Amino acid sequence: MTSLSTLLNTTPHLWKGRQPGQGQRACPTGHAHLDAHLPGHGWPLGAVTELISAKPGLGEFRLLFQALADTGKQGQWVILVDPPWIPYPASLQGHGLLLERLLLVRTGDARESLWACEQALRNGRGGAVLAWPEQISFARLRRLQIAAENSAKLAFLFRPENAAREASPAALRLQLEAGERYGTLIHILKCRGSRPPQPVWIHAPLTRNINTALAGNPLFAITPGPGHPRPKQR
Amino acid sequence: MRQALQRLAAWCYQYSSQVCIPAGRHGLFLETGASERLLGPSEYIGKRLQQELMQLGYCSMTGSAPTPEAAWLAAREGLHIAGPEQIRRQIGPLALSRLHLESAQQKALERMGFRQVRDLLRLPRKALTRRFGPALPDYLDRVLGVRPDPRAMYQPPESFSSRLDLPAEVHTSQGLLFPLKRMLEELCGVLRGGDNAVQSVQITLGHEADDDSLLPLGLQSPAQDSDRMVTVLRERLERLRLPRAVRTIRLEAPTLLKFNAGQHSLFRDTPAEQKQDIEQLAERLQARLGRDSVSGLTGVEDHRPEHSWRPRALGERADCIAQPHRPAWLLLHPRRCMIRDYEILAGPERIESGWWDGRDCRRDYFIVRDRHGSTLWAYREYKPGRGWYLHGIFG
Repeated sequence: MTSLSTLLNTTPHLWKGRQPGQGQRACPTGHAHLDAHLPGHGWPLGAVTELISAKPGLGEFRLLFQALADTGKQGQWVILVDPPWIPYPASLQGHGLLLERLLLVRTGDARESLWACEQALRNGRGGAVLAWPEQISFARLRRLQIAAENSAKLAFLFRPENAAREASPAALRLQLEAGERYGTLIHILKCRGSRPPQPVWIHAPLTRNINTALAGNPLFAITPGPGHPRPKQR
Repeated sequence: MRQALQRLAAWCYQYSSQVCIPAGRHGLFLETGASERLLGPSEYIGKRLQQELMQLGYCSMTGSAPTPEAAWLAAREGLHIAGPEQIRRQIGPLALSRLHLESAQQKALERMGFRQVRDLLRLPRKALTRRFGPALPDYLDRVLGVRPDPRAMYQPPESFSSRLDLPAEVHTSQGLLFPLKRMLEELCGVLRGGDNAVQSVQITLGHEADDDSLLPLGLQSPAQDSDRMVTVLRERLERLRLPRAVRTIRLEAPTLLKFNAGQHSLFRDTPAEQKQDIEQLAERLQARLGRDSVSGLTGVEDHRPEHSWRPRALGERADCIAQPHRPAWLLLHPRRCMIRDYEILAGPERIESGWWDGRDCRRDYFIVRDRHGSTLWAYREYKPGRGWYLHGIFG
């Protein structure tokens, strides 16, 4: 007979006050500092993660490299639905993504894009789907989340800044902001099972000399910053 | 009728490897003794056949017996004769008109006062031969199993073709879904029987006066199950505009390929199954959005970033060098910019190339940061023009 505490510990959706939701299956982000703050210590598996940033290029895609590389290594597919730019294969290959298991979908229409996203989430089991919807309703987000849950997929939606003010059923919502010293500040707007913790500071030192980078040193390293800046006043 | 029988024979190949189309009769003979262990007694096979044929739109009667001719008689009555000794007993009470005899012989026998088959069976052989010739007693012997009754077996064809004349004109493409589903089911039955698969199917819609409309269905890999084909069909039908009402539908599968079943695991998580799932997704998306909507990526040997990649078909190998210091995203077109708006973080990386196709260039690439904090990839062009451009985003 299982004890009550074991039952409580393993029920995935039970909110238990101060502790983050245990039992949330997650895929490690590859950034230990970020993992420490996320329920399940990683990207939520079988749920939607929203990455909100005012402008592209703040590191919102770079954060996913580890998880996407792991997905490929496990024999599963990464599907990009209507990215606004051209994915550069040499770079993706360099960061460990398996090009053999990358699918690019181009629809050219916002509605068809959402449809394709849903189809991709419903298809098979496992893998990751990434989309860049300009506008998406609460109901549609909910459907995507249910589809992701049923097929145990990682779902990442990249959204513009105004999405931060909208309500969303996504399991995890991160907002990225440029910080000092070439770093990025990640606000966790919403996560399952607990009150959102303090913003996470991701420091991204760059080498001035690109030759060093070419010699094999990782160009971007995510390390805990020297000190946490104060969270932005709302 | 002949064509329909041919198709049905091919379809029945799922249930029996010995199928025969008797000349001049509207029916088929199937040998089911060998399939009894797998499919159950002949009664069950008969019922199953009737049900499945009903779903395809055919009304049928089935019966079974140890000999073909006796089975023919049994089918009319829906009998299932278990053993040779019971043939006499079970077909005895049948009316004489049921026998497969020439009409002249039938009439003669009736005039003589014979009504039931058992009356005929009781007559001595010699008398029958003298009166009607050797054919009639030979037939009776074959019915009873006294004489063997070898038949020419049907050979399944190398292609499939079926045609349906619609009972009423169909004006909407959705109205075509039901008849097409049936035809695809029939095709899949034939495929299963012959252990074949198809990768493309051609549907031709006939109108009254205009030229036929063509609707090709293509799959990513050979398939045997109708669900995949119906999924693709649904998407295509949603996009189809009918110029005129449809009167006839023709379905053709000109090449039948060998089918490889492959292992199925419970959770569908082997790489081969993942690939299958992705292929089905690609089929669905391409059916609705066009062939170019789904692709993979691969590298091209070229120093110029905009030429160093191309889309690839899913079945093709992906081959690319790894360049982690390059940005994850390239802008669709390089965009002119003013370098004073940006802070240079790293660089330059000289790229000089392309003299052989007339688009040669000389560029110095820099990693830059803009005032919003985005990390971008910009270059200074020396050839062909001069200026600063944005080319990529370090997402």
